[in-house]
Amino acid sequence: MSLVPQVLRSLKNLPPFPMVAQRTLLLLNKPEVSIQELVEVVKFDPAITANILRISNSAYFGLRREIHSLHQALLLLGTQELLKIIIASGATRVFAAPTPGYFTERQGLWRHSVSCGLMVDVLCRELSLPDQATGFTAGLMHDIGKVVLSLFVEQKFHEIMEVVEKQGVSFQAAEKIILGVDHAEMGGEMARMWDFPDRLRLAITYHHLDKPEAYTDDLILLVYLADILCLMFGQDLGTDGLAYTGYPEVLRHFHLREKNLQRVLLQFGSAWDEAQVLFGLMGQKDGIQRANRG
Amino acid sequence: MQIVVGVAEMKVSNQQEHVVITHALGSCIGVAIYDPLVKVGGLLHYMLPDSALDEEKGRENPFMFADTGIPRLFKECYKLGALKQRMLVKVAGGSQVLGGPEHFNIGRRNYAALRKIFLKNNVLIGKEDVGGTKARTMYLEIATGKVWVKIIGQNQTIIEL
Repeated sequence: MSLVPQVLRSLKNLPPFPMVAQRTLLLLNKPEVSIQELVEVVKFDPAITANILRISNSAYFGLRREIHSLHQALLLLGTQELLKIIIASGATRVFAAPTPGYFTERQGLWRHSVSCGLMVDVLCRELSLPDQATGFTAGLMHDIGKVVLSLFVEQKFHEIMEVVEKQGVSFQAAEKIILGVDHAEMGGEMARMWDFPDRLRLAITYHHLDKPEAYTDDLILLVYLADILCLMFGQDLGTDGLAYTGYPEVLRHFHLREKNLQRVLLQFGSAWDEAQVLFGLMGQKDGIQRANRG
Repeated sequence: MQIVVGVAEMKVSNQQEHVVITHALGSCIGVAIYDPLVKVGGLLHYMLPDSALDEEKGRENPFMFADTGIPRLFKECYKLGALKQRMLVKVAGGSQVLGGPEHFNIGRRNYAALRKIFLKNNVLIGKEDVGGTKARTMYLEIATGKVWVKIIGQNQTIIEL
């Protein structure tokens, strides 16, 4: 029995995407973003400016000078870094609800999402690609469909897992078989309703490379690879574990050997430690508590 | 009291009230060793097989790699009075994504590195739960030397190793 009608009905109650993050997404495609444009965007949310300063002064950037203003942050960190911070702090509300279908920890999805954004950055560095806010954002948003699908996965978890185990398919393929819709499609649908830029929407929709269209944009392949590497790294793993498919052709496409993957994981380990402030954006007390976990 | 071992960390203990835990092993491997006579145990969570990848990192943090981390795990337990011939060894983790075994196989390499080190040093693995696509959390109880593996999932299945 397909749950598709029920799932689609649940989308009708989808809350709007937070406005500041929404406006910032539109800046991703612009080659130049002025301080005035950024100020225009963040002035609607004073908490974001506070977050920008907190993150700018954290170990994540390791600056020697203390940053006191948005303007200074822009000068010292650059537009791309600032866009990442604004989008991450603007988007937290979307990730605030627990997703028990996928994560036993309340903040599991947020932590996995931030990790994937960071992993895209680390991969870009390994591949000598420009480290752009678009890549981080696509990593951050790739599993957004899980926010809505969690409820249905929770109900049918055992049936989905049985398909994974008996047929040896990925968790996403099993979702499609049991629920009639999977979390990547679901995310794509949400991205459409939220008017995300096309590239971002497609990265969400195709991040498990289950359709030929996935191969049209390196951004999609990067997000896919970052997601897989996050699963290998462990920490904040979900109930779906590592049940996703590794495609060697993606490694060949980027000329990545196993040694490169190992190096990416090594670098990610340090980035992950330094980025605890980003995890902490979601409920600060809890963030600090969890930062001490590892 | 829970003692948490993060990624690329190790903890040893002889405090009877301690339970040493490492969360969410993916391709990484958790190694628990325990000497039942003196009730000394340690848990290592390493990420990669071989420090030749980055020797400086290996010196900085030996617990990142199998070849530098495993000897340190044993040595730290010896300092608390444990003896090699009494050590019980249990291993978990080393998961893999789906697909051919020839790529994305850091989990398997991690396991192979451990086996090689143990073979060379005449260490036997008592029990293990490795491979597959499962995410695992591992516990070592210092009072008893019991090791549990929790499979992360809806049931939160816990097995004793």
